[in-house]
Amino acid sequence: MIFSDQEATMKDHTNEVSLTISSDRQFLPLAMSFTEASAKAFGLEKTDALKLTLACEETFTYICSICKETKSLVMKATNGLYYVGVQFLFRAADFDPGAFNLTAQASPEDEKGLDEMGLIIASRSVERFQISHSPEGVSLVLIKEKSYPQMPEITMPELKPLKDFTITSPDPGTLKLFAGQIVHSYPDHLYPRDFHFPGKLVDMVASGEYGAAVAISKEGLTGGGVAWFRSSGKMVEVFGPYLFDQPPRSSAAERLIDAVVEGLAKTDTLFLIVMYATPELPAGYFEPLGTIDIFKKGSPPAAITVYCRQLKEDPGSTVWFHPEIEEFLKKEYRRLYFARHMKPTESAGEARPEHSVFAARFVKAQNTVILNAIWDGVDFADNLDRHISTLSGEGIPNIFFEIDLAYAWQANLIPLLLGREFIPRLVLPYAGEGDVVLFQQRKGL
Amino acid sequence: MFVVPLDSLVPDYVKTFEAYIPSKPDPELMKLYGCDRLYRLNNNENPLGPPPGAQEIMRLFPPPRAGLYPSGDSYYMRCRLAELYGMDPDQFLFGNGANEVIAFVIKAFCQEGDNIITADKTFAVYEWVATFSGFAAKLIPLKDFGFDDKGMLDAIDERTKILFVCNPNNPTGTYWSEEKLRGFLDAVAGRQIVVIDEAYCEFVEKNDYPDGMKLIGEYPNLVVFRTFSKMYGLAGLRIGYLTGSMGVVDVIRRTCVVYSVNTVAQDAALAAIDDIDHICRTREVVNTEKRYLKKELDGLGLETQIGEGCFIMIRLPMSDTLAYRKLMREGVMIRSMTGFRFPNWIRVSIGKHGAMEAFVEALKKVLSG
Repeated sequence: MIFSDQEATMKDHTNEVSLTISSDRQFLPLAMSFTEASAKAFGLEKTDALKLTLACEETFTYICSICKETKSLVMKATNGLYYVGVQFLFRAADFDPGAFNLTAQASPEDEKGLDEMGLIIASRSVERFQISHSPEGVSLVLIKEKSYPQMPEITMPELKPLKDFTITSPDPGTLKLFAGQIVHSYPDHLYPRDFHFPGKLVDMVASGEYGAAVAISKEGLTGGGVAWFRSSGKMVEVFGPYLFDQPPRSSAAERLIDAVVEGLAKTDTLFLIVMYATPELPAGYFEPLGTIDIFKKGSPPAAITVYCRQLKEDPGSTVWFHPEIEEFLKKEYRRLYFARHMKPTESAGEARPEHSVFAARFVKAQNTVILNAIWDGVDFADNLDRHISTLSGEGIPNIFFEIDLAYAWQANLIPLLLGREFIPRLVLPYAGEGDVVLFQQRKGL
Repeated sequence: MFVVPLDSLVPDYVKTFEAYIPSKPDPELMKLYGCDRLYRLNNNENPLGPPPGAQEIMRLFPPPRAGLYPSGDSYYMRCRLAELYGMDPDQFLFGNGANEVIAFVIKAFCQEGDNIITADKTFAVYEWVATFSGFAAKLIPLKDFGFDDKGMLDAIDERTKILFVCNPNNPTGTYWSEEKLRGFLDAVAGRQIVVIDEAYCEFVEKNDYPDGMKLIGEYPNLVVFRTFSKMYGLAGLRIGYLTGSMGVVDVIRRTCVVYSVNTVAQDAALAAIDDIDHICRTREVVNTEKRYLKKELDGLGLETQIGEGCFIMIRLPMSDTLAYRKLMREGVMIRSMTGFRFPNWIRVSIGKHGAMEAFVEALKKVLSG
């Protein structure tokens, strides 16, 4: 099966509007109107549209405050179908994104604190944000997801073993039913939380970020399926395959995975990864990368095997490494047969920005958070301590940290992680700009 | 310094196209994978290399000629082919490998909104050139490892301009008989251009295999591709060509880049084209080594797809891309087939016996551990 261009290339949805204005507070009403009108036009409910507008109001005000002279900035609103994103593209030497940390706090006592308070409000009013530097300036994207109703109780269709079936992309009705069948048939640690919101899943697939394929009988019954999601970089996360009332060793599982692999084979995807492997995952298609341990209150830790599959012949690549994990990396690359040219790096007292910024991804079903550094800063160690303390205080036992070996500055952070009882668990090939090392905090272990 | 506004400069169909990254040179790969030898069994090259006459041309090439442009349209080569096949020299167009002539044909006939039709699991360049030129490629699933004639005919619409058939097919080695090809051409009835890529035709010894050259007189919409990269062992010099009816070739000439075939390639091809002995010797090596591989692979209980051409396909009980990495560490380079949409299959080019033995040994080691 070859998926449509949109699914296969997972390209961004193209509904977008943009506004170029000056970094002058006089334009604040315009920036707010632009955000609110775009958000509503792109389908956010009134409350969500207002939250996004508030976030943009605070962000615009902050940018005006740090721009020493009036400069033009671009605001771009994007309809991602299940979310609306507003991007700010601007030039400012003094941009300090520290307020976007999960743990950020500001004091109302001083002026800088008040400025940052606005950014903290902005970051808390949206689900996600992305910050990056490019030759065009700083890009800050605020993402507000739409609200969807949770799955209603559904009656499962009567199923029989599939004899004659085809693998196909599901229509919205079939997709919602498929999500219902998964939630009904599988424990919740074997699928992402989004599957509880069938409307969201439909929009995610329509946006191209998610993909799905189902095994359908001649009678139109869904005997199984598989879903996938572009998680980061050139990696696609596969969920499933899920089979419903099918006999052991059904060929449906293999054919579903074939469909995923064939459908993505000629896209820019380099790797498939399976974090939620079902018992139906066919043998011989994926390589075990290693295991991580997931802790849950009141039960012993579960060792989760993470699987991957490379879609292209590995051309080899170059990675930065800190000497403290040299042995680990060499062992893993040897074991996994990856050809890597390893370059050493260590901090040598070079100047760094003041505040680091972490992004946090929560996996609620597994009581897990995955952190990664999106901005370096001299306060990295303190910032990490604050995050650990906050997350532990929230009762989250599974704390992971990703280090992208494409960046020397990230590899330089490794001793700080090791010093805080993080240990390297997995190497995820090409999961970021380059290979990503997944560290797990030992406390959980 | 200017910031190039790539977002607005680059067409969407280029933005979403994934560039093909060829493998690194052997010394770099050997360094990366830590091996002290490398058998390249991934590109379907001739294990015997170029015929002796072509080798002599290369040895004796006078360096001062490198300072002069080559014949811009491979004049002597076209004349020789015309003589050989009883056609007119103007019915031939040369390119820097047959890859280049694919682009000539697509550029000559397709415009915005048009499409081409080919198979989903075949030589990828037809699909690539169409896609990164902004034209849709309709990919028809193979049937029993072969091109599906009915499926292709059913997919034709009013915007279909070209149908590409790889005969024999790379990588499956299946082929259309003359009867099947004629039936297909009759059904198309001249409404679209039909390209038959005969890159591996010299390897086929079956009686019912069609010679596209002989059909051009009857089917003026037929275009035939051939190359000197496979049987004639000149892959490193990049020379291939297309031929068709005068009217069709006259149109393709308008989008043909001249001067793209270098002097050594033209002279070497001219020396190679009449070497029947080279063809016989190559066929013997290929047939012998295919039999050897078949026996060994049967012994390992592996499913194979062995058709025409200087390659075979093997289905592995493991990821083909993992097998690629493991075999590389053993100093053997094969083609993993996920990129051809054949998950867990590999394609192995036929090499000399030593290379085949090395491959079998490495594969046994990979499968056992």
